[in-house]
Amino acid sequence: MTEEITPTKTLDVCGEICPYPDMNTMTTLKKMQKGDVLEVLLDYPLSVERIPRNLKKQGHKLLSDEGLGGPNHRFLIEAYGLK
Amino acid sequence: MELVITGLFVGVLFGFVLQRGRFCMNSAFRDIVLFKDYALLKTVAAAILVSMAGFAIMELTGVITLAPKPLWWGANILGSFVFGIGMVIAGGCASGITYRVGEGMVGAMTAVLGLTIGGYITAWGFLKGFRESLQGSTKIMIGEANPTLSNLLGIDYAVLALGIFVVVVVLWFILAWKKYEADKGWGWLTTGFLIGLVAIIAWPLSAATERNYPLGITKGWIVIAKKLLNLTNSEVQLGWISWLIIGTVVGAFIAALIARELKLRVPPIKRLLITFGGGLVMGFGAVLSGGCNITHILSGVPQLSLGSFLAGISIILGAWLASYIMFVRPMKEAESGE
Repeated sequence: MTEEITPTKTLDVCGEICPYPDMNTMTTLKKMQKGDVLEVLLDYPLSVERIPRNLKKQGHKLLSDEGLGGPNHRFLIEAYGLK
Repeated sequence: MELVITGLFVGVLFGFVLQRGRFCMNSAFRDIVLFKDYALLKTVAAAILVSMAGFAIMELTGVITLAPKPLWWGANILGSFVFGIGMVIAGGCASGITYRVGEGMVGAMTAVLGLTIGGYITAWGFLKGFRESLQGSTKIMIGEANPTLSNLLGIDYAVLALGIFVVVVVLWFILAWKKYEADKGWGWLTTGFLIGLVAIIAWPLSAATERNYPLGITKGWIVIAKKLLNLTNSEVQLGWISWLIIGTVVGAFIAALIARELKLRVPPIKRLLITFGGGLVMGFGAVLSGGCNITHILSGVPQLSLGSFLAGISIILGAWLASYIMFVRPMKEAESGE
């Protein structure tokens, strides 16, 4: 199903340490239009659990969380769009 | 030989739980101000409460003798405040960076290197004199004992600790039980309970090797460094706490391997230098204050040690200051800038 969605933007935070995966994801999402889709590539386990937990508070929507083997994950997030 | 086996054993358990539970006090304190995320803070609280109940029962039954750290108000405030700043810069508390070494996070490896060097020079190097004079000149005792809430109030430790445990647990059931929902992963309650359990197991095993204290991190690393610098000197030996640290890295490695989360992850070079610098600051702060977050918050607070309370509060304030400057303010500026 997720292959059908074309992300508006891609953010690669692989290798990054705490809390940059979360922070970069949140700040990028805030600058996006409503309905834009952000693709996040990450490999830090704590952020894989924490980002989905905190997305909802900002109104963003996690469309999919795809495991890419090992700690690697690919998130598709729909921006709430304050802009 | 006993200290090698029991140290490694407890270390492997500790590392396994740290990795699966993502236990990190830097995240716990920083995430409150950064993401309004309370998951790891609740884990820390649960771990402290479980340890407290366990320590109280073991003290009551004569299994352990309490060993609260001294109250050196100047060294506790300065050292732990600086430690709190350092852990935000390093991207993890002492236990956080230690378990992430086992996971393959290179940023954590450079932070541990910094922690070890910073701790070493403060323990035995050119900062030793400063440390000893600040600790000595600001030391407060109650009678002949290191101050605790128990001897301050004149209430028996086990009674007070179990009383606090019961009151908090009952309040939690009344106020929050219905709202409890398990998080993804292990969840805060599971992780907190297991961390507390590891601390309870750790203490009598460590005490049997004449180190009467539950868990710790920083001292373990700096003694490993001392041994590496004195390989041929048989008088320098790794103690229980160093075997605990080696076990912790191995345990986190095993946990990450099983969970398929093992990967050598390298952040940008700039980040490696920053985490190294943060580690240096942490090492200095931890040794000056008589311990890192594990020694004070996880092991000292459950003993109701006033020095550890002071250190814990200072760590949190330092972490908040650094989080605000490094993350909260830049995030606000980035959002309002465009």
